[in-house]
Amino acid sequence: MADGGPILRNNRALSWKRAAAIAWRDLKSAPGKFGFVVLSVAVGVAALVGVRGFSESFRKTLSTEARSLIAGDLSARIFHAPTAEDDKKVGTVKRNLPGSRSTWVTETLSMASVPPDPVPVLVALKGVDPAEYPYYGKANLEPDMSLQQALEGDSAVVAEEFLIRLNAQVGQTLRLGGRSFRIAAVLRQEPDRISAGAGMGPRVMISSAALARTGILGPGSRASHRLLLKLPEKLPPAVNSVTVRKQLEETLGDAQVIDYREGNPALTEGLDRATAILSLICLVAMVLGAIGVAMAMHAHLEQRMDMLAILKAVGAGSPDLLRIFLLQTLGLGFAGGVLGVAAGLGVMEALPVVFGKLIPVHITLEFPWRSLLAGMGTGLLTTLLFCLPPLLDVRGIRPVLVLRRLVEQPANGIGGWFARVWKRRLQLGLSVAVVLALGGIAWGLSDSAVIGTSFALGLAGVLLVLLVLAAVMLRAIRFLLNRVRLHLPSFLRQGLANLYRPGNQSAPVLAALGTGVMLILAVYLMQSSLLRELRETASPTLPNVFLIDVQTDEVAGVKAFFQHQAGVTQALDLMPAVTGRFVSLNGKAVAQLKDKHYPRYLLETAELSWSDAPPAGDKITQGKWWTDGGAHEIAMGEGAARRLELGVGSEVEIETATSGVHKLKVAALYKADGEHVGARIPFVLPSGQLKNDVATWYGGVHLDPKQIPAMERAFFLAYPTVTVINIADILTRIETVVDQITVVIRFLAGFSILAGLTILASSIASTRFRRMREAVVLKTLGATRMRIVRTFSVEFSVLGLLAGVVGVVFANLLTQLILHRLKIGYHLEWPAAVVSLIGTAVLATATGWIASYRILGLRPLEVLREE
Amino acid sequence: MIDVRDAQKWIQNGARRVDILKGISLTIPAGQFVAIVGASGSGKSTLLGLLAGLDSPSAGEIWLDGIPIHNLAEAQLSSVRGQKIGFVFQSYQLIPTLTALENVLLPFELNADGNGVQKARRLLEEVGLGERTDHYPVQLSGGEQQRVALARAFVVDPPIVMADEPTGNLDSTNGRLVLDLLLGRNKREGTTLVLVTHDAEVASRADRKIVLKDGRVVEDTLPYETGSPMAEQVSNG
Repeated sequence: MADGGPILRNNRALSWKRAAAIAWRDLKSAPGKFGFVVLSVAVGVAALVGVRGFSESFRKTLSTEARSLIAGDLSARIFHAPTAEDDKKVGTVKRNLPGSRSTWVTETLSMASVPPDPVPVLVALKGVDPAEYPYYGKANLEPDMSLQQALEGDSAVVAEEFLIRLNAQVGQTLRLGGRSFRIAAVLRQEPDRISAGAGMGPRVMISSAALARTGILGPGSRASHRLLLKLPEKLPPAVNSVTVRKQLEETLGDAQVIDYREGNPALTEGLDRATAILSLICLVAMVLGAIGVAMAMHAHLEQRMDMLAILKAVGAGSPDLLRIFLLQTLGLGFAGGVLGVAAGLGVMEALPVVFGKLIPVHITLEFPWRSLLAGMGTGLLTTLLFCLPPLLDVRGIRPVLVLRRLVEQPANGIGGWFARVWKRRLQLGLSVAVVLALGGIAWGLSDSAVIGTSFALGLAGVLLVLLVLAAVMLRAIRFLLNRVRLHLPSFLRQGLANLYRPGNQSAPVLAALGTGVMLILAVYLMQSSLLRELRETASPTLPNVFLIDVQTDEVAGVKAFFQHQAGVTQALDLMPAVTGRFVSLNGKAVAQLKDKHYPRYLLETAELSWSDAPPAGDKITQGKWWTDGGAHEIAMGEGAARRLELGVGSEVEIETATSGVHKLKVAALYKADGEHVGARIPFVLPSGQLKNDVATWYGGVHLDPKQIPAMERAFFLAYPTVTVINIADILTRIETVVDQITVVIRFLAGFSILAGLTILASSIASTRFRRMREAVVLKTLGATRMRIVRTFSVEFSVLGLLAGVVGVVFANLLTQLILHRLKIGYHLEWPAAVVSLIGTAVLATATGWIASYRILGLRPLEVLREE
Repeated sequence: MIDVRDAQKWIQNGARRVDILKGISLTIPAGQFVAIVGASGSGKSTLLGLLAGLDSPSAGEIWLDGIPIHNLAEAQLSSVRGQKIGFVFQSYQLIPTLTALENVLLPFELNADGNGVQKARRLLEEVGLGERTDHYPVQLSGGEQQRVALARAFVVDPPIVMADEPTGNLDSTNGRLVLDLLLGRNKREGTTLVLVTHDAEVASRADRKIVLKDGRVVEDTLPYETGSPMAEQVSNG
């Protein structure tokens, strides 16, 4: 070596800085192709950041506005009207907390109408003391006024939905429980709406005093009462919300007590579950994107084979090349991640609109740092994992390629196959690691090892099967093509033959696009099957109208009303309900059993009924119903008995307000069909045990649907305090909720389609030069632009159609599997299948042309000279 | 010094074995300019590939400056290639996405520390391309591309330069220019030069000529050795 020459390195590793410089130079050479790689990553990251960012903001809202969300520091819910005794107990608790305040909030369902239109609607009625309620947060009214002003006298505030449904306005009068109320304002936002759960009707709020005057709250009526407690600024020593909560739980034995810090456990649990499911749907898009990046990198390396051989010839080792392409991949992943994060913020903004009324609180969207980092990290990790197997191929590139093309080929046959597999053992091992890592990511996103494992194995399995199916279909088409090719028009023949162009990645493209179609179609099929099932259960032999809170003195009148009502196809079935409480189970006092995990509400507020024969819709599964109305026996719903660990022959003691303690033996267990009145009462006694107790009655009747509005008008006039639930309305509400849920899922599953299309575009872009050559050769031979358009369109649309077939087949299989587990019937939906096939073909053709832009305008010499 | 001991090369295509080199033994001392000649398919380029460590022999040994490159691991082999050998190919093998300067710089970046830009510029000036450093290969003529390839081969000052038909794609003027540059390096720096060629005139300028036929050495002579066809050709000329 000459003196003064360069200092050659002993540790031959290429520095990261230099590797980055070389990677960057290579990136600059084909920005268009890498654009699709960036997009592939961005799609998944955007979806994930959107969902998790929204969830993060939701959680933050729940924690920062925790007190507003229950309108107090603590809340205690009971399901009977608070008695003087209850108030005394609350007073005792408050005495130890000088400066504390409390109020009762009542929530129930009722009927309301706006004259002159006599048709009532089911409303979620709430009675509050506006001088106290809410302790935290604010009821936003329009026109702007205080709640105290708005609820003065017989005034009400109503949700906008109420006004829309009844075509009413502020200032008009509404009829409720036989009394008239002036609509004082629209309730724009109710601080503790979230604590009321999903309402069956629009909110109507009046003062507690006015609610008492309506007579809606008869003895035993279905209302929930929530005690809101506001703690003083300064608590006495050794007192905090935990101790107060304990005190309340001890004092009001049957109450469900929560303090603001735990917010709404059901809601947070639901939010976590929804976030997990939606995150996994986003992960599908992310995995598809990562597969797209891996495919693009594989194609890129294949095209760069000569360059890699030159690099090796001038001294680059495989680790150097790996370093260069690893950096390149990470750079692309990072760029995709940044773009995805930006788009994800847009998705997060869009989600409240997509969720619509499913979200009961106003969420303040904030910059979701954690979700942003999680999305970015997941995107980078997934991209890296999926790209490692193709990147490792650089190790196999022989520098001698710069001198001659002829290199060793492994032998054919089984030996050759094993030799090829053995040669790629590292890649295969890495693929297993990828599935494991995917399981880890899914575990992290869903917070469940089982879900994470099932998701990773399921997705890997589905992708593998889709890939095999796609490959088989492509082979079948090739087989057919080889038999009929000369009988086909030349553009069709060439278009189909293009599917097998060297470097085309038709099978993975089909699998990826097919996965997106499968997801969206499966969600649609499940939604329609579920709704069909719901509609079909509304059969003429089952009640389609339910009556709630009929008082005993109204029973005869109500029976008579329906005897004279036109269109009744199934007679009115009325069932009494009495509230009692368990005193002992199998000789053990309930107080002693409190440490065991019995459902407290079942023990403290037992819903009882009486009947000397099994009620309609109930099927005896064990034991025998009594024949003597005075027997000391009880029948129980299977579920309730299981939770209380009771069976036929068990002995229980139940106390009711009027007739005291009943010593009873379990005579029978039954299973309710869920479609009759009896389904909602878990304990039935002989008539002689309860008939002196104060009962509220529930009724079910089947009417010709056309007669229901007229019946509702007449019934509301006669019995304004009885709530009428029309199943058709409920079904409409359920359909709306199901629609909204599926819109959200489809919106996110749409990202998978987008990822699939990006893969298609990327794959097309990677064979762009070959297409350019084909186009100019065709032009040189005299082909018109239209002829070229037809040829390429055949290729793109057949790819789309095949992906559609793959997606439709698997969507139906998946739906059938899930519906079978849910015991819901499955029907093949031809229109949906056809729309999916055509839609995918159209989308694929459009994407193909977007990725092949400018090909048509090329001049032959321009391309041929470049060779 | 390069020492080849009974080197054989065959490739297996499915069940068929194709023999390319059938037992070659030779020694090339440091600083010698060796021309390898022979008809197409005689195994010239394959032998060059083996000497350069671009490929491994199917049997036999190849020692390069005392290093047994026939059984080196891939990582060590690339180190040998990068630090000991400069390469010039018939079809230039420049990387199309890199400029002339970046192409020259590449082996330096892969194998050496420090900043090689000045050196790469100087080498490009030496081969007469000082004004074209920022041009891409597609913007250069064949002769210019080959001169860039020469500069690239010299950038880490390798003790051995191997050239596969370096003038094969060039007109006579450019061919002569490229050969002068290679020979200049050989004489000035004492670099070993192994060159595969069809061109008798190029071969005549070598210190030694090795003729291959059907994968075997059929002649290994110094050009002026008495009785050799080359000596006769020169004395007749």
